[in-house]
Amino acid sequence: MGRWFLIRLLWLLVTLLGVTFVTFLVLDLAPVDRAEIEVMKARQSDSYVDVAHRNESIRKLRMHFGMADPVTGEPLPLWRRYKAWLGNALTLRLAGPGEDHAALWRRLAEALPVTMLLGGISLLIALLLGLPVGVWLGRRVGRRRERFWSAVMLAAIGVPEFLMATLLLLTFSVVWVQWFPAGGLRSTGADEWAFFWQLLDFLWHLALPVFVMSIGPLVMVTRFVRDAVARASAAPFVISLRALGVEPKTVNRRLLRHGAVPVATLTGGLLPLLVGGSIIVENLFSLDGLGHLAFRAVLGQDQAIVMALVLLTSTVTLLALLISDLMHRLVDNRVRLTD
Amino acid sequence: MSKASTNSVELAATGTAPKKTGRQQKSALRGWLPWTFVGLILTVGIFAPLIANDVPLVAKVDGSYSFPAFADLVGDVPPGPHDLSWKQWWSRLSSQDEDWAWMPPRPYGPLETDAALFYSEPSWAHPFGNDDTGRDVLARVVHGAATAVCLGLPSVLMAALIGTLLGAWAGFARGIVDVVVQRFIDVFLCFPTLLFLLFASAFFGSSWFALITVMVLRFWISFARIVRGEMLSLRERDFVLVARGLGISTWRILVRHLMPQTISAIGVTAAFCMASAIVAESTLSFLGVGPNAQSSWGTMLRQGSEQAAIGAWHLWFFPAAAIITVVVSCHMLADRLRVQPTAQ
Repeated sequence: MGRWFLIRLLWLLVTLLGVTFVTFLVLDLAPVDRAEIEVMKARQSDSYVDVAHRNESIRKLRMHFGMADPVTGEPLPLWRRYKAWLGNALTLRLAGPGEDHAALWRRLAEALPVTMLLGGISLLIALLLGLPVGVWLGRRVGRRRERFWSAVMLAAIGVPEFLMATLLLLTFSVVWVQWFPAGGLRSTGADEWAFFWQLLDFLWHLALPVFVMSIGPLVMVTRFVRDAVARASAAPFVISLRALGVEPKTVNRRLLRHGAVPVATLTGGLLPLLVGGSIIVENLFSLDGLGHLAFRAVLGQDQAIVMALVLLTSTVTLLALLISDLMHRLVDNRVRLTD
Repeated sequence: MSKASTNSVELAATGTAPKKTGRQQKSALRGWLPWTFVGLILTVGIFAPLIANDVPLVAKVDGSYSFPAFADLVGDVPPGPHDLSWKQWWSRLSSQDEDWAWMPPRPYGPLETDAALFYSEPSWAHPFGNDDTGRDVLARVVHGAATAVCLGLPSVLMAALIGTLLGAWAGFARGIVDVVVQRFIDVFLCFPTLLFLLFASAFFGSSWFALITVMVLRFWISFARIVRGEMLSLRERDFVLVARGLGISTWRILVRHLMPQTISAIGVTAAFCMASAIVAESTLSFLGVGPNAQSSWGTMLRQGSEQAAIGAWHLWFFPAAAIITVVVSCHMLADRLRVQPTAQ
């Protein structure tokens, strides 16, 4: 077990290196030169009049941003820049050379709780609702009610998140009825209310975004559990339990465990999905979370934040995958994977 | 190392089902509705300029023939005759003329505006209505399909090719190849797809090439994982041993005896990937960074939702219906191809 864990941890680091290197490479291929952007910005305020002056400032900025050798001014090769980035990342200086690291961390720290809350609640709903519903459906595969609900699930994931969010916004907060707020997390003036009302207000604001974000994971968990339970229902132990006259309730409880095993492996894999969802949901419902930060960073062509976010999300994803594999081993003692 | 599935594609496709029976395999091909819709969307998408356009398919001008709509399919439309636009020229033709033109079934272009028809509701002449600048919504929906298909089809085909080859190789050869391919899969599994597509759009100026590359990078792992998994179990079967004993070459075993058995799994994955590609394209366009902002369901939806408050329901309804129909059809198709688990 200990050896398995160490090997997994090692692979995790190797994968992280791969992920960040590929991202770095892709960002490097992009025809975006930060030094030129900065100079262009400055030129709008007329501080660069002649070409020689301008080229000189681009050269200096390139050195400043770590794109060129600080002594000779020659462009640095990719691997040297990646090495520099890696060194900085290891000491948590993610904002790029010569910039305010604390400010970047402040922005991340402000955005993280919103996304974690959204994602956490959605994941919780998906697991708490998906597991029992999946078991219920799995016991009825092929019957009319199961077919009906499976068709509903099919339709539900057929509606893309941005479309679902738009339709809900149009229906419930703009055009048809105004039951839910169109964005934000708190009403204006909520600070003076009693704690209970503040909480209620908060949940009221979260209702639509959480609904949109939880549909995908919920359907996935439910289908996965349904298939696992349907397979297990045909297993000899269930047949013998039923033949022995064990109550259906007890049989279902045994089957729940079979549904729980795939969920253990599934949970980690849902995270990239939630990251994608948060970008859309936070944009449409104007919430200031990581998704929104990512969107603005990408549109502003801010490479440092993109790198920081890819590092953050892939670390969390890989850790979650590791933990769910660990959970899988704990839940199911038949699993003894050694390599 | 055990693998947890990570996105909708894998999750839905890897729900490994019990053994196939003849009856179930036959029923997999039944259900004409999703096939029809997916076929329709591919056809409409590929041939959009021939279906809805404001230039004729065939025109006879001063005794010589030209094919402006077909020219639109492959490149630029030639300028209309007599310093008029094609549409003006066509509307002034009389039956006595030597010249004639054969217009596409929907004689409106996606960009053709008409001041008389601002916000007009659906009617017989314009079944989907007209938008805020009088453009025909039906023509725009048709050309939106073109944008979705032109992005989705090449990326899915390319990803299927790369993923199937690598997956089959890894699953069949095992050893070092398998380890390397698995590492690559792990790396690409971590990327949040939408974020990558967004920055392909932002950093490379919404270029088609960049977006297709990112999609291929994301989709090939779906194919590779499925095919690898199938290969792992297929290669242990007795018939492979027999084939080897008969002296059949490894390549031939792979191509003639193993690959055909993975076709249905590849089909499922392709249907899912097509759905995600279409969703991705419309999401990008909705967020305002799509590859072809002029005619895309996402763009139409954003504009429509902005104007929904003034009661123009047909501006958002038709693109929304198009997206949902296509995505649900792709998912249904995948569901059909996949063998359903059965309870006893």
